[in-house]
Amino acid sequence: MSTHIEELNPGLKDIGRYEYGWADSDVAGSSARRGLNEEVVRDISARKSEPEWMTKLRLKGLSLFDKKPMPSWGSDLTGIDFQNIKYFVKSTEKQATTWDELPEEIKNTYDRLGIPEAEKQRLVAGVAAQYESEVVYHQIREDLEEKGVIFLDTDTALKEHEDIFREHFATVIPVGDNKFAALNTAVWSGGSFIYVPPGVHVDIPLQAYFRINTENMGQFERTLIIADEGSYVHYVEGCTAPIYKSDSLHSAVVEIIVKKNARVRYTTIQNWSNNVYNLVTKRATCEEGATMEWVDGNIGSKVTMKYPAVFLMGEHAKGETLSIAFAGEGQHQDTGSKMVHAAPNTSSSIISKSVARGGGRASYRGLVQVLEGASHSASTVRCDALLVDTISRSDTYPYVDIREDDVSMGHEATVSKVSDDQLFYLMSRGMAEDEAMAMIVRGFIEPIARELPMEYALELNRLIELQMEGAVG
Amino acid sequence: MSVADTMTADPLARPHTDSVAAFVPDQSRAERTASFDVSAFPVPTGREEEWRFTPVKKLSALFAEGASDGLAWTDSLPAGVTVSPISASDARALGILPPQDRAAVVAAASAAAVLVDIPAEAELAEPVRVVLTGSGDTASHGHVVVRAGRHSKATLVLEHTGLAQHSELVSVVTGDGSDLTVVSTQRWSDGSVHLAQHDALVGRDATYKHVGVTLGGEVVRLNANVRYAGPGGNATLLGVYFADAGQHLEHRSYIDHNAPHCTSRATYKGALQGATARTVWVGDVLIRAEAEGTDTYELNRNLILTDGARADSVPNLEIETGEIEGAGHASATGRFDDLQLFYLQARGIPEDEAKRLVVRGFFADIIREIPLADLRDEITAAIEEELASTAYASANPAANPAANPTAPNADGQTVTKEN
Repeated sequence: MSTHIEELNPGLKDIGRYEYGWADSDVAGSSARRGLNEEVVRDISARKSEPEWMTKLRLKGLSLFDKKPMPSWGSDLTGIDFQNIKYFVKSTEKQATTWDELPEEIKNTYDRLGIPEAEKQRLVAGVAAQYESEVVYHQIREDLEEKGVIFLDTDTALKEHEDIFREHFATVIPVGDNKFAALNTAVWSGGSFIYVPPGVHVDIPLQAYFRINTENMGQFERTLIIADEGSYVHYVEGCTAPIYKSDSLHSAVVEIIVKKNARVRYTTIQNWSNNVYNLVTKRATCEEGATMEWVDGNIGSKVTMKYPAVFLMGEHAKGETLSIAFAGEGQHQDTGSKMVHAAPNTSSSIISKSVARGGGRASYRGLVQVLEGASHSASTVRCDALLVDTISRSDTYPYVDIREDDVSMGHEATVSKVSDDQLFYLMSRGMAEDEAMAMIVRGFIEPIARELPMEYALELNRLIELQMEGAVG
Repeated sequence: MSVADTMTADPLARPHTDSVAAFVPDQSRAERTASFDVSAFPVPTGREEEWRFTPVKKLSALFAEGASDGLAWTDSLPAGVTVSPISASDARALGILPPQDRAAVVAAASAAAVLVDIPAEAELAEPVRVVLTGSGDTASHGHVVVRAGRHSKATLVLEHTGLAQHSELVSVVTGDGSDLTVVSTQRWSDGSVHLAQHDALVGRDATYKHVGVTLGGEVVRLNANVRYAGPGGNATLLGVYFADAGQHLEHRSYIDHNAPHCTSRATYKGALQGATARTVWVGDVLIRAEAEGTDTYELNRNLILTDGARADSVPNLEIETGEIEGAGHASATGRFDDLQLFYLQARGIPEDEAKRLVVRGFFADIIREIPLADLRDEITAAIEEELASTAYASANPAANPAANPTAPNADGQTVTKEN
């Protein structure tokens, strides 16, 4: 059934059912504790030799996590057992500075992810490869350093740039924003920290790969990006995880501060294995004239609940989200975006494309809020869903709250199925049915795929094709 | 017990037990409670999904159980149509949909049901008109059951007027091949509160249309729901609302596509004027796995005339099968379009008049669906009366600065922009 796709894409076969579904023998994780309490939080903080204010913040996060209710909407999260998760796993004692210093086992892992190639080709500006909660490999191109760009893992950033870190940490997403943000604040580890000085354009995308590698290990990375006035940066995050028998949890927090006239683009292709609960809080604030763009692809995981947000705080700020979700068998992608207009002349747009197949469920959930005083604001939301069989499910839950007269807001959604006409047309030109189906799906998501860096667009297409295998016939 | 009480002083002493199993969110609209049993619905706190936009504090009288009087009932019935009491068990035997919230279940439990019976094969030249008049602010309840016989063709008009605290359940059951239009107007006096659930079980190959026109009342919440008794049903839900300062006008609809080859359309349009005007529209559509060949579309347009008004618009769509004809929704909220206004003013039409024309055009496509000329004219006139007060305020900002302190647009505004 899949032969046509494989012929078209030599190399696809190597990817197999789930390319990243292997696991290295568990060197560090088995000794890590399961469960969460004050002792665990204090221990994480002590091991990282953190300043006291951070320890206090973590404990505040823990206490708020206990108090906050589970979300009263969205996916069924009953599969998560908070007491069966390891909240901190340390894989190597010290950070590696060059590729060769990495342990063989970890190098093998990254070889399969294709990182060294990308590095060799200088496609990436710096690679922060996250392995077992802590960044073990990190390199920044010299020219970026010269420009004053800081690109570090979050733990090191706290040590080396405490002032700027403390000024911005937890300001975009308060500790008690929601249950999972509170959890992340309590036990965060790893993630990326980026500071771009005023006027600096980072021409090449900064990339980081994340992996979960210990069974039941929660990954709680914390990313903080500060784009100073007039700067530009594109950050690319990709996620892959090996398959394990029991469920694991990924709960990240990403905070982005886009200062006056700066522009940040944040791209994610999320491809966790199908037993990961992916509950992520991502939010950016935009000052006057600033632009924030989220490109958010969700292919993997068991359940994803993720709604990247932009708070438009200054005049003429702009927020944009391109979201693509692909829900296969046993998956629920509950994704969307949130735009809050808090200043006049702000604009936002959300474009969402989702595909559900094999009994999967793809939900768009979004919010557009125009606060009083945000006159002359404009927002458009467009959701398209494609259904390729009769057992899958597609939902649209857009919320719109307008408190100002001088605005223009539009939302539109369409749900369609792959028509027999489309299939007939392609098949009459000699394509097999599954090939035709894959082509239609690729065409459907193309407006978003073309916004991705080349290697991610290719990866996305390969993943879609893998997902579509067995979709027909 | 407060949340803080559940925390022990020493977190180490207690494992983290906020079990996720404690709460599973509804995974589909079909999972919400629907029952004739009052105890199935706790008194809303305002945190529930279905009440979160509604000012529940003003509604406690309507959530309380206990028999009460209904509204004064005046009807004009064409030949063949009868109005008679019906027992609760007989009403349920007709297949009426169960109440879906606390107010509706209390209405069903507290009021004696009245059956409006339209015989099979009847083609009524004249509408069935019922005027419900409130005379005070004590709680009242009503349950109207409407049976449209098979292959009948009729129009029912329910007019709500006066001062009332009224909770109402209207249960419509239409026969196979019937064609029924229900028009419900809410033109309450200031200070009235009205919670209504208007349901329809649409027969095989039947056509059903519901038009809600809400202009008066302090809090009005009208939920129009549809389910199908067989394939081929066609349902249209329409709404027009105009909220002034201090009004909360809420319209919700739930179209449950539970049978194959049915169609539905929902179109709601609203205008808001005054700093505290508030409207809510929530349109839920569920296409069940068995509802192959469904064709559905929902549309909501809100026209905000002054600063500080708030319009919420939530079109929810849940689809459990890929074998559908089409499904979609659109929602737009905006202000008057300066270009349209300029166009009209350039042709010598004064601003107030131009604005009136634009608002009339905005609502026209729904109002013309009302099959009674006199009612159409009455509603159009009532909307223009509502609008006149805004036009005055915006054309003469100095005349009433307190009511409209920030009105920036004496120079004009016009219809919603679509995107």
